[in-house]
Amino acid sequence: MTDSILLTTLDEALRWGKGKSLWPFTFGLACCAIEMMSAMGPDYDWARFGADVFRDSPRHADLMIVSGTVTKKMAPRIRRLYDQMAFPKYVISMGACASAGGPYVRGYSVVDGVDKVVPVDIYVYGCPPRPEALIQALKQLQDSIASGKVRH
Amino acid sequence: MEKVVEVNFGPQHPSTHGVLRIKVKLDGEIIVDAQPVIGYLHRNAEKLSEMGLYPKALIYMDRLDYVAALNMELGYILSVEKLMDVETPERAQWIRMMMVELNRIASHLVWLGTHGLDMGMLTPFFYCWRERERVLRIFDEITGSRLLYNYFSIGGVYSDLTPKGIDMIKEFVNTFPDRLEEIQSIFQKSYIYAKRTKGVGKLTLDDAIAYGVTGPLLRASGLKWDLRKNQPYLFYEKVNFDVPVYTNGDVYSRFLVRVEEMRQSTKIVKQVLEKLPDGDFYNKKYAKPMLVRMKGSGESYVPTESPKGEFGVYVIGDGSTIPYRVRIRSPSFANLQAVSIMLKGYKIADLTATVSSVDPVFGEVDR
Amino acid sequence: MIPIESESKTKDGTPVVYISKENLIPFMKEKKDEGYDMLLMVTGVDYVDHLEVVYHLLSTKDGRRLLVKTKTDEEVDSVTGIWPGANWHERETYDLVGIRFRNHPNLKRILLPEGWVGHPLRKNYPMDKKQYVNLGEDGEDKVSYDPKEGY
Repeated sequence: MTDSILLTTLDEALRWGKGKSLWPFTFGLACCAIEMMSAMGPDYDWARFGADVFRDSPRHADLMIVSGTVTKKMAPRIRRLYDQMAFPKYVISMGACASAGGPYVRGYSVVDGVDKVVPVDIYVYGCPPRPEALIQALKQLQDSIASGKVRH
Repeated sequence: MEKVVEVNFGPQHPSTHGVLRIKVKLDGEIIVDAQPVIGYLHRNAEKLSEMGLYPKALIYMDRLDYVAALNMELGYILSVEKLMDVETPERAQWIRMMMVELNRIASHLVWLGTHGLDMGMLTPFFYCWRERERVLRIFDEITGSRLLYNYFSIGGVYSDLTPKGIDMIKEFVNTFPDRLEEIQSIFQKSYIYAKRTKGVGKLTLDDAIAYGVTGPLLRASGLKWDLRKNQPYLFYEKVNFDVPVYTNGDVYSRFLVRVEEMRQSTKIVKQVLEKLPDGDFYNKKYAKPMLVRMKGSGESYVPTESPKGEFGVYVIGDGSTIPYRVRIRSPSFANLQAVSIMLKGYKIADLTATVSSVDPVFGEVDR
Repeated sequence: MIPIESESKTKDGTPVVYISKENLIPFMKEKKDEGYDMLLMVTGVDYVDHLEVVYHLLSTKDGRRLLVKTKTDEEVDSVTGIWPGANWHERETYDLVGIRFRNHPNLKRILLPEGWVGHPLRKNYPMDKKQYVNLGEDGEDKVSYDPKEGY
């Protein structure tokens, strides 16, 4: 029955809907959070892409943007916030620090990459990435969700 | 029977401006005790600066107060130049002064926008960001970067002003005061905003001085103390500007001080554009490949007025190319300490207003 | 008058005063009465053979600045009784440089989690020996050397 036309189209419609109605989580860590706010702002206006409902509680959100350096003291808290999010949930690792430690990788209290803490779907490079880069990451995530490449 | 409830605020909370955690003790609605817990963004800036060459530490300075990166660079560069006895050409100093003032406007606009969000007003956020993007576009044109610039170098700046950049600055300073008026009126005409901020989060002058509070908070508490006036560095004694002072020491006065500072910064930028001399934008004796071989000895601390307060870097050199000790005097660290006094006796609903009025930036608090 | 060990100047022209650590508290009280009403920061410097504590003082009335230095072997009296703002600065110095302040109201780590081993700004701190942090059952941080125990 899974091959029938009705089921596949419904599945596809669901995936399309999931991708186009992401609710991001207001979660700023460091410098990249300012660029994330710029992306929300009037010039870049990422509400155009259907992800403008920023939620303050992890239980309402399904997209976590890790924007900034992850320190060892913060990492367990990030894990806890991630565990509190309801499925489906996605993670964008924004910037060099969150992706690989960035300029702080030699430090004693910095986690080199948020992928050691939570599973990451999209990495964005740059220190900090421009808002355009973040918007591209969002578009990429939406496309991968719609085409079924990313499932959670 | 008195019953005290302990509430944990943060480290993830929409109005903490980053990763602040406050342990609040409540008696009903009244705050009995509030202890900030920091360190969630401790990125080892001081240790990493001691592990690399003098110019390399600049990237960590950028990322301290990431909304006013140039002000942070200035504090470090001035200290290091004193340490190495480097002369800076006049044009470079004027450029530095102008860029720093533009960055002060950008920083205060971030504050104003997020302060609006904390007080439940969404509109000022968009207005402030519209203006801020114009400043960032100027920086993009001149320094090549939007947020973290690495623009000042030992003995000058990395690139000269472009004609297009100058036009953009001129256009900005001519239109910004009117638009600021508009943004300010959104706040001031709001009855709710005035009710929520007047007489809230009071800090007396004695407490402010005892806790080492500097910057707009100190000026809102009634002391006319601005390092640009009191202990001028760069060419601040050659330009005209006023230092706004209010005596109430509440959230509303801090708002007024910061808005007025933006207006004064615009005035300074206008004057710099008139007085900008021709000449080199960096010291020709110290070409860029030379910088990594520069040695520093002795110790120096040059205080500068950053948007948050007195910022300076205490650098100790041991005669090698690597700094021996770098200690960052970050204004937000000292200002945040006074939050527990500002909150005592107020209601829990005043907490977001008070914390956001301090304008803490956690790259700088935790370093 | 409290005896001064030696006097000098920094490169930017601020006077520096060395004081023995026994005389620190009376000297600081005297300076506060002289008008140095703001303590800007407390710093610890590790000179390998000894530690040094540096106090930056400022008078908001006339803008005078003064650096007070004292040589110590890990312990020195706290100045929180004179300037309450010294509280966090001394905690930070304890946390990162490892100088203990006597009579401090709450001498705990401030930037690093409680339970961290060593003081990172010491010159002999082992940077290659990584420590890992996790949340305990009680919501407080747990530090260990085992990578499986934390992040």
